[in-house]
Amino acid sequence: MEYGRKWMDKLSVEQVKIELLHTAYGNSDIFFAKLDPRTLFIWYSYFGITPWFLHNEYILLGMLLFMLVTTYFAKISPLIMLILSLGLLGQGGSLLIIALFFGGNWATLMPLFILTVKLMVISLASITVFCSMNPTQLSNGLLKIGVPGQVSFSIAYGYRMLPTLVEEYHHVFQSFRLRGKAPEKRGFLYIRTISYFVKLAVMSFYPLLLSTAKRARTTVEALETKGSMYGFNHPEVKKLKLKTLKMKKRDYLFLIASFLYVVLLFVYFY
Amino acid sequence: MSNLENRFILTQSQKMMVFILSMSLYGLSNMITELVPEFYIGPIELSVEYFAFIPLTLCILFHPLYAAIGASLGEVIFGEIMLGQFGGFGELEKFIAFSLAMYVAGTLVRDPKNKLQVGIAAMVGIIIHQAISAIVDILKVWVGVEELEAVPGLAESIVAIEGFYFLNDVLFSGILFALLPTVYLVPRLYGKIEPLLGMKPRTRDDRYSLKEIVGPRLIVGGILLAAFAFLFEFLSETEFNWEWEADFVEMFGDWFVFISIGVAAFIAIITLVVLSNRKKNNTQKDEKVS
Amino acid sequence: MQPIIELRNVTYQYPGANTPVLRDVNLTIEKGDFVAILGGNGSGKSTMCKLFNGLIPHYYVGDLSGKVTVNSRSTLDHKVSDFSKTVGYVYQDFENQIVSPRVLEDASFAPLHFGLPDFEERGIRALEVVGLLEHRDEFVWQLSGGQKHLLALASILSLNPDIIIIDEPSAQLDPQHAREIYKLLQKLNKEEGKTIIVIEHHTEFVAEFANTVILMNQGSIEFKLPVVKALNEIELLEQHQIFPPQVTQAAAKCFPHKEQLPITIRESLDLFERGGQMEEEVSSPGPEREVIVQYDKVCYSYQTITKKKKRVLHDINLTINEGDYIALVGNNGAGKSTLMRLLTGLIKQEIGNVFLGGKDIRKTTPEKLAERITYIYQNPEQMFIDDSVEKDIGFYLRARKHPQTEKIVNQLVEQFHLKELKKRDSRLLSGGQQRRASLAIGMGMNPQIMLLDEPTANLDISTRKQVSRLLAQLKSQLKAVVIATHDMQLACEFANRIIVMHEGRIIHDGDKYSVYANQWLLKKAGLYPPQIFTLSKELEWKHPVFSVEEFVQQYERREVSYGVWT
Repeated sequence: MEYGRKWMDKLSVEQVKIELLHTAYGNSDIFFAKLDPRTLFIWYSYFGITPWFLHNEYILLGMLLFMLVTTYFAKISPLIMLILSLGLLGQGGSLLIIALFFGGNWATLMPLFILTVKLMVISLASITVFCSMNPTQLSNGLLKIGVPGQVSFSIAYGYRMLPTLVEEYHHVFQSFRLRGKAPEKRGFLYIRTISYFVKLAVMSFYPLLLSTAKRARTTVEALETKGSMYGFNHPEVKKLKLKTLKMKKRDYLFLIASFLYVVLLFVYFY
Repeated sequence: MSNLENRFILTQSQKMMVFILSMSLYGLSNMITELVPEFYIGPIELSVEYFAFIPLTLCILFHPLYAAIGASLGEVIFGEIMLGQFGGFGELEKFIAFSLAMYVAGTLVRDPKNKLQVGIAAMVGIIIHQAISAIVDILKVWVGVEELEAVPGLAESIVAIEGFYFLNDVLFSGILFALLPTVYLVPRLYGKIEPLLGMKPRTRDDRYSLKEIVGPRLIVGGILLAAFAFLFEFLSETEFNWEWEADFVEMFGDWFVFISIGVAAFIAIITLVVLSNRKKNNTQKDEKVS
Repeated sequence: MQPIIELRNVTYQYPGANTPVLRDVNLTIEKGDFVAILGGNGSGKSTMCKLFNGLIPHYYVGDLSGKVTVNSRSTLDHKVSDFSKTVGYVYQDFENQIVSPRVLEDASFAPLHFGLPDFEERGIRALEVVGLLEHRDEFVWQLSGGQKHLLALASILSLNPDIIIIDEPSAQLDPQHAREIYKLLQKLNKEEGKTIIVIEHHTEFVAEFANTVILMNQGSIEFKLPVVKALNEIELLEQHQIFPPQVTQAAAKCFPHKEQLPITIRESLDLFERGGQMEEEVSSPGPEREVIVQYDKVCYSYQTITKKKKRVLHDINLTINEGDYIALVGNNGAGKSTLMRLLTGLIKQEIGNVFLGGKDIRKTTPEKLAERITYIYQNPEQMFIDDSVEKDIGFYLRARKHPQTEKIVNQLVEQFHLKELKKRDSRLLSGGQQRRASLAIGMGMNPQIMLLDEPTANLDISTRKQVSRLLAQLKSQLKAVVIATHDMQLACEFANRIIVMHEGRIIHDGDKYSVYANQWLLKKAGLYPPQIFTLSKELEWKHPVFSVEEFVQQYERREVSYGVWT
């Protein structure tokens, strides 16, 4: 019961709003947030893919160093970094232990270490880029690189509707709680209580399915009258929407600097 | 409307409704599951992986394609972007695998009132999704570790771990959060939710012809996945080319970065196209043979 | 005047329906008119409005015959998007037509998607018109309900349409916001020459703002008349469950032979004679009763999006006794719902104590509290968790394996007139039916105390009356009832105690006489008394009345005593 209550407290509407506001506004003053989304995409498309195919540990470590610097400038919270590192190390560790069962030895350690570094570089690259972009930048960027208008609409719609949906879910869940009856015995390891709450969490979706269906109908009708179907199919609307996007000097400088660093790595270590 | 063949063809706006419905609900559920902590009993992870019953139910009741894509997008938007956890390329892989799995599950059901069919479809959906995820994870290690076969024990251990997770997820999440709720929800919602969107419920006859749906679309999905695998492999070969890149820079200056990235992207696209064409030809041949 | 909308022999049937919703409708609406459409549920009002912006026949397929011309263009030959620039539609569930996360984004959404280069200026201008400009960069969910409605209006105004349609503004908004919207519409109508069409049940607004009234019945136009004539058709209106303004009803009863009855207070002042009401005894408070609930210096705060705490209840001291039927009134955000929700245990006070039957509420779980106190949500849908009305009512009893579940459920189904609906899904019922079901669910928990949040909101007038009657019946089954409401008619009829809240404090605790005697209080808490009360006050009666019946009775008694009839 205690557990369920804590969980529902976490899911309060105000809390969700705070979280959303945080991700939406949180980082607007950092360097990366001022870059054009295209710059970040290009940058990420390199550091998010190539590490897979590099096996030189020095180059990878050099890249990792670079990523640590960028994450520092992106003001990523140390907690996220810690969780990420622990997760990756744990994954590598469990692989190692199981590998030992299958006749592995210390020679297994090195490839695993390289793999972990690779994964780290890739994750840090994506954190740098995607934590720096606010949702508007991200959806504009996606629109610019040719992702259909429906996707950027959906991102906006998500931000619009989430608090409403959470509130409704919260109310329905509470109705279940107040009118239902939690098991009196907690069961072994709280099993009964947990399964009761999980069942409620699942059943609460039945009412939500119906009410969201009603919502969707009005929304789509409104979209029709607001010309969104027209907008999705006309390139000039896209142009109008994206007229603020512009590659600036700092975009080029950032890309060039990154490139030079990578070149340097290759020249020295290959 | 009376024309039987046209009966299940939805208007543009009805597709959009199914899409929005699926996106918002599955997105919401994702945010909830993200917040639920995990339990471990020894090595067995009892986590609420996902509320797969939502897209499964919608795929069975409505047009599976729009429900499936909506759900996958909902996951990316609510569960990742809005929590500040968007993962870049990793999302693409999840998106494709999940959409494909849900879509196939939706097409399997002909009669939403038949609980056996619904149950089988739900399990098949989960199995497809988990299988693709496991394969992709194994592939990643295979690509990421140089000469995987030469490293003692690693190949076996990765297969063992992924296999274990596969079974864990299918048996735990699959039964509790896909099979049971879907079987509970589909018959209850059938005939009730469709009018809210201004549609007629699916009837026995409204099924998607296997040829039309499972044929080209499944194949395209398969090809896409295969193409990604091949792309990785192909790129791994290009590793050696980085060596001479430095000279080019000295010769041509800074603007080279754009060309190099452009070329890389171009090659990637060409590869995709070529590979998928080749694959398509192969499959067509296969079909002829069989 | 020049016609802007013309319907010629229009009949329409929804796909899959057996009967047409509109039958042979002929109608002309003139440019620059302010039209109110009246009609019972299912009379085809909303359907007709969807003809005006082309949603029918382009969005809803179905059988349409006849000809619809809007702004001299046939709706058959042009697309929905062509009409968006001519016709703007604010829905009844307007929240769902707001699709962007931020205020300005939504206001400029339509011009942007139609590819108009000045989309942002248009959005800003529209926000300025409705008075939301200072909120332009906020998230939509930071707005209040009334502000959201204004935003929905701004989003259609940004396309500068000639025709504005609003579906039941007064049912969705509290009286103060409804009045604001009407004033705004009046301004748009007078200053910019917009044609305004409202679907409305609240005839007092109709009388004050509209020029023309259309009455619909079962898909046909019953009449289209100038507003004074229309609201004088008292019998016809009442046949269709529409109640003319209270002053008109009173005048009809006091002056049965009068040709033209007044429809606003100003007009009725010329008709009724002033002063001279008989002395009436005001009831004195009864004997001491058992205390059930006690709030002791309670404060409550919540975390806002700026991570600061916002205090919504300040130092509340309140005692609820057995036999108290309390109406909790005050502006939105005065803390009414919070005060009630503290009793459910779902939220916890920051400072102070709440006692239920002498026991600290903090020491009891919400589940246990629910066995004694039932909270009925404003939106009934939030109480529907099972798949039929009957199962929803019995959910609580079944979870507790109550031996007489079936019998109790049947009784409740009977009491709340749900017999024909009991097998249906509660979510698919109409607004009034849903409200009845939610009351039955609340009673199904066999509570001692019932808390109701806006039980008559979003209902048309005749359904409101029905719900009020049901609530009156509940008094005998419950020890105490608390109703948070804007509906002053309900508060006056139902409550024996009225508590006025303002900015998290209780500023008055008395009865309807003490509340309405206090002009300052009414103004501060944004309360609108029933129209008949204002009339009796304007007539300088010493003891103003609260219902039409009371008014008529007193007026006639006064005439007798003054010997008018001799």
